[in-house]
Amino acid sequence: MHLLEVENLSKSFGGLTAVNNVSFHVDEGEIVGIIGPNGAGKTTLFHLISGFLNPDSGTVKFKGENIAGIAPHKIVNKGIARTFQVVRPFRHLPVIANVMVALKSPRGSRKIEWIKTSQRKAVDMLENVGLTELMLEPAENVGHGDLKRLEMARALATEPDLLMLDEPFGGLNPLETDFLTKSIQRIHLDHPTRGIVIVEHKLYALMKIVKRVIVFHQGEKIAEGKPEEIAKNKKVIEVYMGKAM
Amino acid sequence: MVSAYFLKRIYLSFATHVFDVPARLAAFLLFLLLIFFPVTNPTSQILLLLTLANLGAIFAVSWDLLVGRTGLMSLGHAVFFGLGAYVTALLFVHLGLPPYITIPLSIPVGVLVALIVGFPSLRVKGPYLSLISFAFPLILTGIIYYFKEYTGGERGLYGLPSFFPFLPYKDQFLAEYWFTLLLLFISGVIIYRIANSETGIVLVSILDDELASKASGINVTKYKIMTFVISGIFATIAGSVQAHILRVANTGMLEATISFIPVIVTIFGGIGTLYGPIVGAYFLQLLDGYVLGRIITIPPDWVYAKMLVYALIIIILIILWPRGVARFVTDKLEDLEEARDIDERGSKIWKKYKKKKEKVV
Amino acid sequence: MVIEIEAILIFGAISGASLALLALGFTLIYGVAEVVNFGHGSLFMWGAYLFFFFGPGGFLQLDLLWASILAVVIVAAISVIFYRLTIHPIIGDVIAGLVVTIAAALVFERLVLLIFGPMKQYIPTFVPGFTVIAGVKVTYSQLLSFGISLLLFLSLWIFIRTVKIGKAMRAVAQDREVAMLMGINTNRVYMITMAISGALAATAGILITGSTTGEAAAYMWLRPLVVSFSVVVLGGLGSIKGTLIGAFIISYAETIFVSLDPSFSYLRSVVGLTIMVIILLVRPKGLFGKRIELEE
Repeated sequence: MHLLEVENLSKSFGGLTAVNNVSFHVDEGEIVGIIGPNGAGKTTLFHLISGFLNPDSGTVKFKGENIAGIAPHKIVNKGIARTFQVVRPFRHLPVIANVMVALKSPRGSRKIEWIKTSQRKAVDMLENVGLTELMLEPAENVGHGDLKRLEMARALATEPDLLMLDEPFGGLNPLETDFLTKSIQRIHLDHPTRGIVIVEHKLYALMKIVKRVIVFHQGEKIAEGKPEEIAKNKKVIEVYMGKAM
Repeated sequence: MVSAYFLKRIYLSFATHVFDVPARLAAFLLFLLLIFFPVTNPTSQILLLLTLANLGAIFAVSWDLLVGRTGLMSLGHAVFFGLGAYVTALLFVHLGLPPYITIPLSIPVGVLVALIVGFPSLRVKGPYLSLISFAFPLILTGIIYYFKEYTGGERGLYGLPSFFPFLPYKDQFLAEYWFTLLLLFISGVIIYRIANSETGIVLVSILDDELASKASGINVTKYKIMTFVISGIFATIAGSVQAHILRVANTGMLEATISFIPVIVTIFGGIGTLYGPIVGAYFLQLLDGYVLGRIITIPPDWVYAKMLVYALIIIILIILWPRGVARFVTDKLEDLEEARDIDERGSKIWKKYKKKKEKVV
Repeated sequence: MVIEIEAILIFGAISGASLALLALGFTLIYGVAEVVNFGHGSLFMWGAYLFFFFGPGGFLQLDLLWASILAVVIVAAISVIFYRLTIHPIIGDVIAGLVVTIAAALVFERLVLLIFGPMKQYIPTFVPGFTVIAGVKVTYSQLLSFGISLLLFLSLWIFIRTVKIGKAMRAVAQDREVAMLMGINTNRVYMITMAISGALAATAGILITGSTTGEAAAYMWLRPLVVSFSVVVLGGLGSIKGTLIGAFIISYAETIFVSLDPSFSYLRSVVGLTIMVIILLVRPKGLFGKRIELEE
């Protein structure tokens, strides 16, 4: 059984088809990358899987259970966590409190009994992404790169079985990109059964981490395979470069 | 001796919780001031004013919990106020029950109404929510008029008993003052504890970014309803107590003006703080009754002008400072306090974390 | 009490038309500027009061037509000034907008109390006399109200679709930023919309009060506000077609309900409000609502 199985998923808005009959799967322990030009429907896909949108047709099966149409917080509590392309911190809360919120959810608070306080657990989470220095700082004062890491810490706080990252490298400089790559790898090693899906534009960063790549264009899956294969795939190159040279 | 030990513990707990933090200390001192104020031998009129101020403060704080902490803009909070008053009045008029029974009985009714009002409000966003909440006091008013044989219709219900019928008339004012002050204190503490607990953190997260809150596994609807209910309970209590202070319940308690008072008061005092609405409510009540009466004799027509002036001031204030005038001051105090709060616990965690790190290295 | 179907049909239609006009003003300013104007009922009230003030029974003693035109124009002016001073600085902030407009509503109420006092004022009937249609007694004033409401509603519908400013309003309603990029001066559009909205409210105020109760009181802003909400929520915020249909539905619902039992007249507004709450529960978009577009 696949960890995540998407079958014939479709979603339209008015006349615009954002996701068209998409099928793919993610297994336990896999890191899968999703790439494609802007507007290809990648974020819509995330919304569909994480419950923020209801599909017009098709199914989304998580651990065998169809989760399409279930409320977002319930999906989180089943074990899927996601980040947002544009960071959404809780501006008026300090960094540590941002993570504490996630720990207040039913799934996040599972492990807390033996740790005793969510604050301690929150510090652990922040450690994973290297944000402990900033923990008392109100989120509105924190820089973009750190906010990206905060998003991830928050998602990790719910101990997901499937982690979905929406453009985690967006707006990061090379140093930050490097650090984040290492963080993701470490997170993967810490929980080998956890599946990770990453939507990203920065191909060089992505290709280093993922085992498998799915390519989207205009709402449809147009290619799938190992990073090296995809890089040579003619259709993919065309789609990214525009018309063939 | 055992009691000395307990006294010391209470004192220590007090010291860390209250004395340490400037804002809380100020609030505590103010509270002491209010308790001992009657020493100055004020007139019954002034005591009544302050009693009403206490109730207004409870009402305003209940509203602020809703709007300041979750952003659910209720423009019909008067429905709870009037509901509390009518429930207790009806129970007395038709069943002869005394206040100390009817007021607790008004609480479950308040919860029910909070659920009725809150539930549709949650399915919709921003302005729609305000529209719905605005509608409910009007619906209740209509129902009250329709059943006028039972509810007294436009005249309302008169002759409600005092809380302290066993006291001589003059002393009742003092007793009522302290009673409402106690209620205010309890409400304040409860709401404060809620707002500054982990639940409070979740509420702020909902206010800041509801989507991200959901994405963090929070059942936003549950929290909103919960806050609605708590807010409703306090507002209902304020209304039912006021009915016995003024000895009357009428549909004037359900007017848009009443719904608007916490708005005025909170904007003046600062949305989202605890002290803001309390200070604002006192200010408004004193201005209304005492100052204007004493310092300026107002021609009778100008009774209408009062509300007009307040509303005008609010308009100006909102344009200049959308989150509240006193917010500047209270913001600074709160920042200090929050930093110290998180710092109190945070610094302990920080130390433990550093020790852990050193061990590993 | 005998319920006459003909009476219900006729009176439901008459009040439906003027309700549509009133609600149209409300939905326009929401659709275009995203402002929920709690002062809408107050503009209705000003229309009625100024009509009285300028009219035969009042200060200037103009004839009815001029009195009403003057009243509408002044209310339109008040609306624009009100918008410019209070809403414009905080546009975009929905919460502040709500508070400000509800504060304004209270200010207006008190102003009226100060100027005109708490006693009711009497609005003259437009045209004395009545006729009988299908066995029902209908006053000429009511017919006039019906006719003018429909006429104005239709005119505005056409205006939005053809005249340049009307099209600009639609553009801003659909997408403010794109409209700005196209060179439309959004602030001017907002002000014009506000003027129209106020004019509609005032006209409705004159027509409705003149043809029904004939009296104006300072607390009369509540019911038009509340019934505007109900109509617009039912029809869908921002949809003109929806406003028309919603107005008739609510008007008929109210008329039928009130005709069942005379003491139900207290509950008249409750009907619309209940419908509104139900709609918000079941289908928040309303019948034809889209987010903030003005369609057709």
